[in-house]
Amino acid sequence: MSKVDMKTPAGLLHSLVCRITEKKEDDVSPQFQYALRVLGSHFTPSVESDEFQLAERIKRKLVKQRREGDAARFAELHRKLQSNNVVKNRWAILYLLYNLSHGPDRPGIKITAGEALFGQGLPTDATSTPFHHVPGMPGPLRTPMPSGGDTTGSSGISSIHTADRSDPTPTPQSFPASYGPTPGITPAQAVAQRQALGNRLALSLSSRQPHLGNGDMSVATVPSGRGTASLSLRPGADNTSFELSEAALLRDVLFVFQGINGKIIKMSSTADRFLIDPKVGVPQSWRDLLGKLSELGWLHNKIRKFVDSKISDRALGLVGQSFCAALQHELTEYYRLVAVLDAQVQQDQDLGVSVGSGGGLTLRRLVVWSYEPLQRLKTLACLVDSCKGKKGGALASVVHSYMQTGDPSLRSLVKHTLNVVSQPIWEIMEQWIYEGDLEDNYQEYFVASDPTVKEERLWHDKYSLRKSMIPAFITREQADKILLIGKTINFIRQVCQDRSPLKTKAVVKTGEAEEEGDLFTRDVDGSLQQVIDTAYRETSRILLDILHTKYKFMDHLKAMRRYLLLGQGDFIRHLMDLLEPDLNKPASTLYLHNLTGILETAIRATNAQFDDPDILKRIDVRLLEVSPGDCGWDVFSLDYHVDGPISTVFTPETKIQYLRVFNFLWRAKRMEYTLTEIWKDQMTINKLLLKTVPELATLLHRCHTLLSEMVHFINQMQYYITFEVLECSWDELWKKVKESPDLDHVIASHQVFLEDIIKHCLLDDESRELLTQLRTIFDLIIKFQSAENTMYKKAEEEMNLRLRFLRRIQENTEKGKWGVTELDEEEERTRMEEFRDKFLSKTTSQLRVISQSYQDMVQNFLLMLNEHSDPSLRFLSFRLDFNGHYHQREPKLNRSLSVSYARTRQRSGKEF
Amino acid sequence: MAEARTNSVREAMDTLQEISRLLNTGLDSETLSICVRLIEQGVNPEALASVIKELRRETAALKAAERIGSPSPD
Repeated sequence: MSKVDMKTPAGLLHSLVCRITEKKEDDVSPQFQYALRVLGSHFTPSVESDEFQLAERIKRKLVKQRREGDAARFAELHRKLQSNNVVKNRWAILYLLYNLSHGPDRPGIKITAGEALFGQGLPTDATSTPFHHVPGMPGPLRTPMPSGGDTTGSSGISSIHTADRSDPTPTPQSFPASYGPTPGITPAQAVAQRQALGNRLALSLSSRQPHLGNGDMSVATVPSGRGTASLSLRPGADNTSFELSEAALLRDVLFVFQGINGKIIKMSSTADRFLIDPKVGVPQSWRDLLGKLSELGWLHNKIRKFVDSKISDRALGLVGQSFCAALQHELTEYYRLVAVLDAQVQQDQDLGVSVGSGGGLTLRRLVVWSYEPLQRLKTLACLVDSCKGKKGGALASVVHSYMQTGDPSLRSLVKHTLNVVSQPIWEIMEQWIYEGDLEDNYQEYFVASDPTVKEERLWHDKYSLRKSMIPAFITREQADKILLIGKTINFIRQVCQDRSPLKTKAVVKTGEAEEEGDLFTRDVDGSLQQVIDTAYRETSRILLDILHTKYKFMDHLKAMRRYLLLGQGDFIRHLMDLLEPDLNKPASTLYLHNLTGILETAIRATNAQFDDPDILKRIDVRLLEVSPGDCGWDVFSLDYHVDGPISTVFTPETKIQYLRVFNFLWRAKRMEYTLTEIWKDQMTINKLLLKTVPELATLLHRCHTLLSEMVHFINQMQYYITFEVLECSWDELWKKVKESPDLDHVIASHQVFLEDIIKHCLLDDESRELLTQLRTIFDLIIKFQSAENTMYKKAEEEMNLRLRFLRRIQENTEKGKWGVTELDEEEERTRMEEFRDKFLSKTTSQLRVISQSYQDMVQNFLLMLNEHSDPSLRFLSFRLDFNGHYHQREPKLNRSLSVSYARTRQRSGKEF
Repeated sequence: MAEARTNSVREAMDTLQEISRLLNTGLDSETLSICVRLIEQGVNPEALASVIKELRRETAALKAAERIGSPSPD
């Protein structure tokens, strides 16, 4: 040692050679030369230096040798070494040590060679040392040996021979440990060696364990001598019933796992399950295990069949396809497992690891290992069963229902499947809520579109919810909102003709950028809701903006109020003035163009002219269907043309409602108008008449009272309609429209507004009788008007006659004649008597009839009002009869009024 | 400083020795230290391993020959 310089590599090597060969320094020169040459010719390692992988390999090796504690200890040491940092070339040292390592039970150098050869004969598994796969390995056979081992192969065999003899109890457990590094051997030699080795081994084993007998050794299904070795080590107690080795059964089972018939386990189409060939001798316990294991094969077949039949089925739709893809994915995972198991079986067989003796695969072990895949396949098979014939959202719902399991691993499986399955739905949804496109070729999405619907009805009819396709993880409200979002976008695009890009996506994205990745993985939690809400708010805001600014929705609404609901008083009044002569004529004589002309005039002359010309252009006259006997008043009505997006709110149906309301209001207005005319006449003519025709006084007084009653009635009605119905509802509508978050709300509040008005204007079914009563009252007013007009005409005639008579007297007197002759006076008297008797009495009675029936009508009307469920109408009745005039005349009314009054008082408590 | 280094070197050697023992390399501490030094100087570990094994085998063969040879005269 001392002679060698320990500082240089050559010196180090020299001392190393000495130590190993245990010779003196001078005796080792050939070996030293050899070592120097080998080292000198290979500077770089032929394998990649991956320390981590190497450490893992060492650990695996230790574990394989059932030295888990040592593995842990190694890991600890390795960590220590890593932290120490003194050694730079850790990988190289570990690699050296690893290459030099041996099994646990073989300390000592002398059997190393034999061991190494054993290992060389065995094909090693993929994870074992790369030595055998490296073609350019430095080895004694490649480099000419200066001395000694020129026949390594044979010497190896001989040495193994000796080793076997010298150590008569080789335990099979040492086999896996023996695939340690050996010097490279050419393949041909290796094969030869292996065969020799196999024979030798078989011989030695059979000679040592003769009791196993020939029956076991000759099993045909065992492919190699190695199999015999493993077979021979089975527990001897069960021997007699074993016709097949467990390894063979394992191989069969692996086939069955893939749904393929094995040698002895075959699919029975009658029993619909895998059956073990009853003729083969397999112990009952194994049969049970095999039965359990073959369930996997059955489940696999079931799923496989489903996937195969559906994957090419185009009608299945995207969701169905993704379902198949998810199943396929699971199956691939499953195949991977089978492949691993297969490799394990192969390895066990090749290594000769005895089944059941520790490291190898056994049926029991397989049952345990396949437990989880079994559960997974079971769940998948359940899914397949329940998803059959389903598609789209319904399929997703079914999958979702399987989420309700307590097993976290199964839940994650279902969740994964659900994610895959619902992917197309999410994609369609994203497209829908951001772009408004509905790319749903297979009718899988829960929004359905009807292509036949025209643009005018787009909002109302085009899109609908397909209830069966709503996935269970989307609530009905969410679905409604999603429908609304896309509908809004389409509405903006198609009806509003607004092509400007929507920023919703950006808004949603910026709003929840961090949750974006989450969007398609979660099921029912806040983020979906949030995305929907944001998109909903944004699109609705855009739509309402467009409606309000570009299409002036509010202005149109106001126009409706002003023209159709008679809000523009001066205009209506003037229109009535102008129209009156025309409308008094029979309806059939009316001409639309005349009326339109009048309407124009009325607009020009009143404040309506200052309105937006666009709005004025839309006002038009409309004549209702003429039925015989109608006069102009009955058929005339105003109309308001709407088009574009606005017509979505003002649909033809709502326009009909407007028309009905207009008719009612128009009629009431006409009554007011008529009464005003009568009042004007009375005021002007009465005084004149009374002067000349004093006997009219009673009649006129009676007319006046009746008129006053009517005026009061109509005034109260008008007050009620204007202030309690129209203004209140209008105010409410206005507020609601201003606050509306989306078009649906606008439409709904508008509808509510109309319905409110219709109800309170007695136009609904409940108030039909009341309305008829009111109509009769109105008719009476008209009748009164005409009666009064006739009376006035007659009275005026009479007055004029009398005046002429007086004038003639005066003229005659001025001429110096007698004022009246006898004849004249007689004539005058008879005429006056005739007037008094015939006309006066007739008119008086006529008036009495009118007055009487009017009173009755109003009383009836009040009674009906009292019985009406609407409280505001009862207030109307109270107002109509504020001084108890009708109470006195009708005891029934009295009672019911007081009752209702009491009721009201009770209800409103202390307010009274 | 030097002492600390020596300590850590010794520690490293101990660790390696332990690993060597775990892996049953059959290297004593002296041989191991030589190997480590060689490797630290950049020797290919693969080649070194094969050299060591070859030498061992040869030695073993020699010894066996001796053993077979020696009893036979008896």
